[in-house]
Amino acid sequence: MFELLFKYPGPVFSRGHFVLLSAWPAWLLALLITIATVGLAVLTYRQIADAAPKLRNWRVWVLWAMQSAFVALVLLLLWQPAMMVAALTSQQNIIAVVVDSSKSMAIADENGKTREAAALDVLQSGVLGGIQKRFQTRLYRLGGDLTKIEGLGEVQPTDGATNINGGLKKLAEDTADLPVGAVLLLSDGSQNMAEAGGSGIALETLRALGNRRLPVHTIGFGRTEIAHDVEMEGVSVAPSAVVNSRMQAAISFVQHGYAGQTAKIAVRDGDKTIAAREVKLAPNGAMQTEKMFFSAGEAGARSLQFAIEPMAGEENANNNAMTRPVLVSDAKRRILYIEGEPRWEFKFIRRAEDDDPTIQLVSMLRTSENKIYRQGIKDPSELADGFPSRAEDLFGYAGIIVGSVDADYFTPLQRELLREYADRRGGGVLFLGGHTSLSDGGWGASSVSEMFPTFLPAGRNTFHRNAATVELTPEGVDSAIARLLDDPVKNAERWKKLTYLADYQDAGSPKPGAVVLAEMNVGKRKLPLLITQRYGHGRTAILATGGTWRWQMSEPLGDRSHDLFWQQLLRWLVADSPGPVTASASAHTLMDDGNIRLSASVRDAQFQPAVNAHVTAHMMGPGGVDALIDLQLSQDVAGEYSAAWTAEKPGGYLAEVVAQDTGGQKQELGRDTLAFRREDGVAEQFHTEQNRELLQQLSAQTGGRYWKPEDVKDLPQNISYSEAGVAVRTTNELWNMPAVFLLLLGLLVAEWMLRRRWGIV
Amino acid sequence: MKLSQAAAVSVVLAICCAGLRGYQRVADFGFGNDDSPTNIKAEFYWSRLAFATNMQGMNSFGGRGYWWRNAWSRDYPKADRQFLIAMHRLTRIDGRPTEQVVTLDSDEIFNYPWIYAVQVQMWSFTDKEAQRLREYLLKGGFLMVDDFHGTEDWENFMNGMRQVLPDRPVEDLKSGDEIFHTLYDVDDKMQIPGEQWIRTGRTYEKDGYQPKWRAIRDDKGRIMVAICHNMHLGDAWEWADDPNYPEPFASMAFRVGLDYIIYGMTH
Repeated sequence: MFELLFKYPGPVFSRGHFVLLSAWPAWLLALLITIATVGLAVLTYRQIADAAPKLRNWRVWVLWAMQSAFVALVLLLLWQPAMMVAALTSQQNIIAVVVDSSKSMAIADENGKTREAAALDVLQSGVLGGIQKRFQTRLYRLGGDLTKIEGLGEVQPTDGATNINGGLKKLAEDTADLPVGAVLLLSDGSQNMAEAGGSGIALETLRALGNRRLPVHTIGFGRTEIAHDVEMEGVSVAPSAVVNSRMQAAISFVQHGYAGQTAKIAVRDGDKTIAAREVKLAPNGAMQTEKMFFSAGEAGARSLQFAIEPMAGEENANNNAMTRPVLVSDAKRRILYIEGEPRWEFKFIRRAEDDDPTIQLVSMLRTSENKIYRQGIKDPSELADGFPSRAEDLFGYAGIIVGSVDADYFTPLQRELLREYADRRGGGVLFLGGHTSLSDGGWGASSVSEMFPTFLPAGRNTFHRNAATVELTPEGVDSAIARLLDDPVKNAERWKKLTYLADYQDAGSPKPGAVVLAEMNVGKRKLPLLITQRYGHGRTAILATGGTWRWQMSEPLGDRSHDLFWQQLLRWLVADSPGPVTASASAHTLMDDGNIRLSASVRDAQFQPAVNAHVTAHMMGPGGVDALIDLQLSQDVAGEYSAAWTAEKPGGYLAEVVAQDTGGQKQELGRDTLAFRREDGVAEQFHTEQNRELLQQLSAQTGGRYWKPEDVKDLPQNISYSEAGVAVRTTNELWNMPAVFLLLLGLLVAEWMLRRRWGIV
Repeated sequence: MKLSQAAAVSVVLAICCAGLRGYQRVADFGFGNDDSPTNIKAEFYWSRLAFATNMQGMNSFGGRGYWWRNAWSRDYPKADRQFLIAMHRLTRIDGRPTEQVVTLDSDEIFNYPWIYAVQVQMWSFTDKEAQRLREYLLKGGFLMVDDFHGTEDWENFMNGMRQVLPDRPVEDLKSGDEIFHTLYDVDDKMQIPGEQWIRTGRTYEKDGYQPKWRAIRDDKGRIMVAICHNMHLGDAWEWADDPNYPEPFASMAFRVGLDYIIYGMTH
């Protein structure tokens, strides 16, 4: 019908440019139309008084408008309007036909047929034939990679991944010398191996296609929404942990068809379930995130599986679990604890840490005015001169606890070193309450008061040896530091029932950005008990009491509340303290693609960037993979070293990064180990519904069109309008379109009919 | 007034007096929320363990000989206060200048993680008391025992100790043990006699000729019970200001006592 009226197919108008073929200038047309319109208006206005009574109102202007339109249209036709459009020349161009051959195309949700079968049906039932009448075709199959094939028989839905982005980019590059006029992509759009563009199409790919003006026409297959499915969307968990530490994971998932029902989420290490709990499912399509706490267990590299138990009648149970590598280390982190007076808190903190194999507490206790009792030292020289005065001596510790010690006990240099320890070195500093702590120790007026997470109160009477009960804040309920019981509600109740503290201290009000995890009930007042904050590259905290020891002595024998709290607090204190070498990877889980970028941040003993280091990574992987690679110094960031590597086989990998000083002594600066994992064919099980949005966007951004399988009749003709390949510009005159003739005729007839209706003919 | 009425009133008065005295000795003078001016609060309370004796029927409190003067309260309170004076001069411990009496009758004892007991050859525990002391020690409490002498006293002491910690071995401490090096390096230890040395010139009592520095440890090797057998450090503290009592004994007693407290507050 469209072509009957307008003579040309739609793309001529949607893709073409409107031109006037007459040699007369376009401005003359505009001028004449204006003159004619205005002239008619003047003429009409003068004759209104003499006109029939019925025309002495708005009706006369309707007639004027129709006459003006008629004259304007005739004038326009005199200027010979036409549409210029680029079209591929027959038999000189190639159409690239790309068929998705990933495993998700094997899903049978196209009227009982698989998506792959439906795609082949579309091609074989006329589309491919129609295209081949005018163009050559090149067939490709697209999985994790793009592969040229000779016939559709080679298309099988067996590839473990889909990389539309990479495939199109490769196509644009590989066919740079060929007259490819357009790309036809048949896919479900469920891309799972995107590179720079994340889950979309990278700008680089769009640019490569755009430079050649290569339109991508897409035909989408598969349902856009699955009726009954629970799908994992992501798992956020630290890639490393220390032995038996309490780990936290955020598990995100989406469900369809099970709103309000109960599902079980679990964390597994091999066959062993290490944590599980039931959750109520959110409304359909809503992202739901649940936290899980679990023990890291023994030292070693392990692959933890985070899963939702399959629901009854679930259509795809293969997207219910994700695996993440976690490296559990038994390396001891050394914490320096300086205490200004013998007190029970000191003893019971030490006892709590005796049970923690990952923390070594190195303590210096002022027993008398001039005596220091040291414990946990590695040799007699350690701390022999008191609190360190040199960065290389202090920065070796992963955390620092400052007990009941006056600020004036430290020299200005030592105080500044303490501040730099958190700010520049990235360590954790914990200040405890006590009768010479915080404000009572003069810290509020000291040069390092900025590193405290609270505005310390003025005066020196903030410490009281009176009882105070404790309770968690909402932030504390979510914190791993304060998690004595896995169940958050029971945990909050447990804190309320803890026996009272032996003493308390007013630590002031929290600074912006600081987080209060626990509070004390002192009479009718609430005072912050545990306050944490980020400070520079590190973190600082206040525990405004010296009396948690009562939790150990007054709770029943065997109750672990005191020890657990202290172990978790001190692990938090050191968890993010970097060592001299900090290794990182571009990804800890590689999905179907083994390319990985290893980086290492290398610091010297003073924690200044080491620019003269020799940094190597010892790669160990499945099937005896054993390689040694050198990391190169970055030109952009001081002390950063990096290298690219490819993990060829699926499985778990370990990278041990070692940095050596290239100076005279060639001593080791430090080492770090990280774990990562390559998984093949797993991602394809996720997001199996048709990603119509991606396909539509791809077509729109490249000048192509998204097609539904049932609407592809016009595709062979439509695809020929492209500026890529060998194209000619055709001029399509518009004066002889039936629609123009009908419009002219219609205007005259309509005017005549109106005059008759108004009784003036 | 009939004789029977007088007797009944006398009994009631006696019970009230005994109760008042008991309350005065064990009341919560230190810990808690009492902010009265007489209640001086501190980090460390010198805590003397009051216990029932196994000498049935003598000055009994509750029928168990609780207040027998020669048992738990030997040298009390002068020894305690003399020691606290030295502690204040020689350490940074924030200690109360007066002593605290603690018992195994209630969980109050858990507020005082360091306790001192003398004449322990006479102690006697109910099962409940023994269990409370066991829990106290296993949770991290520290017990120093002193002033018992000879073989028979040792056996009597161990009778009570086996009730508290049935399976824990007692070991002789070596000079190099950490407990003798926390504040002072006490390497040349001697037998520290009681004040009877002034009258007799003997350093020993009964058949306790050799000083025994002993201990019971927990699973991690930390000393829970420090045992000073065949010695009387309490007397050395008490008689330190007596010109007839030799200074070396008193000095040694103070050094050992301070080492034991620092050890108890650090391990």
